[in-house]
Amino acid sequence: MCCPSGTEIPDRDHRRRRNPDSAQDGATEFDDGTSRPSAANANGHGPLFGAGSRFQEFVNDPRWALAIVRATVLEAAHPQVGAALIDNSTFVAHPWRRLRNTLRSLQRMFGDDEQVRLREAARLNRLHARLGGTDPRGRPYSAMDPAIRAWVVATLFESTVTMCRLGGQPLEQHGMERLYAEFQAYLAAMGDEAGHLPPTLSEFWPYYDHVVAQELENTEAMRIILYKLFDHLPAPALLGGVPTLWATGRAVAGPLIGAITVASLPEPFRRRAGLPEMPGAQTLMQGAYLAVGLARFLPDGWVRADAVADLLALSPDSDDPRARAVTALHDRMRRAGALIRLITPLPPQPEPASRTGAERGAEEFFREVLDQTGDGYLDWPDLAAMARELSTRLDLEEPEETRLYDAYADWWRELQRALDTDGDGRVSAREYATAVPSLAGPALIKVAEVLFDATDKDGDQHIDADEYRTLFQTAFHRDTVGTDRTYTRGAFVRDFLAFMSGRRRSTAYDPLLAQA
Amino acid sequence: MIAGHTAGDAFADPTSASRFADADRSLGVPRHVACVMDGNGRWAAQRSLPRTSGHRAAETTVIDVIEAARAAGVEWLSLYAFSTENWSRPSAEVDYLMRLVRTVVRKHAPLLHARGIRCRFLGVSDPRIPRELARDVADLMTLTGDNRGMTLTVAFDHGGRRDIVAAARSLIRAGVAAEAVDERSFAAHLPFPDTPDVDLVIRTSGEQRISNFMLWQVAYAEWVFPTVLWPDFRAPHFLECLHTYRQRDRRFGGVLPERNGDSRS
Repeated sequence: MCCPSGTEIPDRDHRRRRNPDSAQDGATEFDDGTSRPSAANANGHGPLFGAGSRFQEFVNDPRWALAIVRATVLEAAHPQVGAALIDNSTFVAHPWRRLRNTLRSLQRMFGDDEQVRLREAARLNRLHARLGGTDPRGRPYSAMDPAIRAWVVATLFESTVTMCRLGGQPLEQHGMERLYAEFQAYLAAMGDEAGHLPPTLSEFWPYYDHVVAQELENTEAMRIILYKLFDHLPAPALLGGVPTLWATGRAVAGPLIGAITVASLPEPFRRRAGLPEMPGAQTLMQGAYLAVGLARFLPDGWVRADAVADLLALSPDSDDPRARAVTALHDRMRRAGALIRLITPLPPQPEPASRTGAERGAEEFFREVLDQTGDGYLDWPDLAAMARELSTRLDLEEPEETRLYDAYADWWRELQRALDTDGDGRVSAREYATAVPSLAGPALIKVAEVLFDATDKDGDQHIDADEYRTLFQTAFHRDTVGTDRTYTRGAFVRDFLAFMSGRRRSTAYDPLLAQA
Repeated sequence: MIAGHTAGDAFADPTSASRFADADRSLGVPRHVACVMDGNGRWAAQRSLPRTSGHRAAETTVIDVIEAARAAGVEWLSLYAFSTENWSRPSAEVDYLMRLVRTVVRKHAPLLHARGIRCRFLGVSDPRIPRELARDVADLMTLTGDNRGMTLTVAFDHGGRRDIVAAARSLIRAGVAAEAVDERSFAAHLPFPDTPDVDLVIRTSGEQRISNFMLWQVAYAEWVFPTVLWPDFRAPHFLECLHTYRQRDRRFGGVLPERNGDSRS
């Protein structure tokens, strides 16, 4: 466990840090004054980060995607996190991109390399510092609030534990303590003072139960995730070209993820938020318990056929105490059967193809590119999300990141002046479509130039193949930009403007900004 | 009335809509709201699209209205999806509607259940209904039968007169003496006899007809006729209809207004 106890004032100077050179033997040394997480727990049982940590065992487990979804629902149910998600997050319109960014960030934070971790923590802190505001009821929120960040980490930890438990392989106490220490170290690596997460695992559970019972609400963000996102989950990039296949897959996966997630939420919260029992998931669990439970009483490899026949012959209205349970189970099975039949996919039906032509309709462009948060309005958080995505891709540091945000902020003011005709401070899809605007004002050109400078890492006024790949994550295969196989400033700005204002489809920008 | 709506209202902020509902809950939300989903064909015609695309666009409205009604505290929501007279439409359109309803039922079943909504289908007796659809409908009713949230009644292959005739037959078969028949005992033989009287009927697209819809249950209903077409109808429109309802002075033929949803008998 980490050393600061609840009674001590957390003193950054006394926390241990990992010396990258001594990672092999897990040795630690005292810090020189800057905040660093400890690399090994107090018992010296291996590193908290990187190879050998408990986290690394889970990160490649496919069940972990479900755990993250569950954690996100629990985060969103926190009123302040929910407000931050509603205002700023792109998870409705671009859920896959967000999931990928989250996973990559976690891998960096939990990886072997201390330098990578420090840079990622600094990046997250800059990102969080830009997320703040007030919720619809006027309560302020800030993504830098250490209590909120502690809750986010708590949901990740608890969801990982629950994933193991529901999967039938519950973590033993020691493993759970190790994992908790790793998540505490994660929070510490972001520079948050200790104390917002309880110091020990035994104190964690009362804290968790308290937040679930007292602070979580049926927030707008949670409802959107449960009811809207799973219904309308956009196709991931890989399946973008086969909408029929995706539609079929989503018809099963969306509701199923929803059902499993709802079923796995803590009971007190489900009750308060009005989320009912899911008979399919419950019966599945019950069936498993029943099988395991019965097997305990059976001699090895010997099935007591007479006992089974006895149970099956039991009349539902007999006064045998088992009859009620059998009737109830039968009822559940009936409903589970109905659910399973309903979610079994139908044979694919042809859907009219809409992805034709190089140019988008105004409404389509608004939905796919401009409205990054998917709330039907163009507002600063949408442009901030674009700036965030670009600076994540390019791994920008200060001051480049601020330059990019500033350019986007100027562009936002330009758009607002030109398009916000009703003066409500944001641009509706309707205002955008009515104006059929020419977006290529000087501020947008400035955005293109700042983006060019940020992409052109070596500053030679050309974007070479490597720099191009960093931004677009695709090979540089244009043969129109010149014989030297590089991208000039003029061509870059021209293409960017063609994408943003001419609404041209683009093999480069579409995956970057339009893809889910 | 909510006449004079512009299509722009469809873009209204959904979060403000739900807050609006919360604040007004105490002022008398109608217990049972019914919607006659009219205007899909005209919606498509205005866009030079086939009628079927109007029906497809209606799906979004249905889901939006269900969520808006639930959030507003409506306990019973009935939707008129397909009347016994609709069988006379071109067979291609009927076939399309059957497929569409099946797709919608399957797509939304788990989340309707997750929302605690009890789903029922009123009608669904014609042999022309595809067997697969009837199966899915039965499954949805089985799945959600024990839910205690809002009850959603989808009138599909429904006719108000047919239900009344069916109740009369049922009474005769039960051998009830003529003197023993009153409104209450008659209503007990209607399909889904636990359904309370409709308090508010919303018929979109400006049409002002009853069209053989839940004739027994709408006896004392308030009606509103928003001009917006059903595919453009959204949660804010729905809440505005609830607001209109609250402005009405319900007398039930008497002088003193009663609380909505009260049983008359």
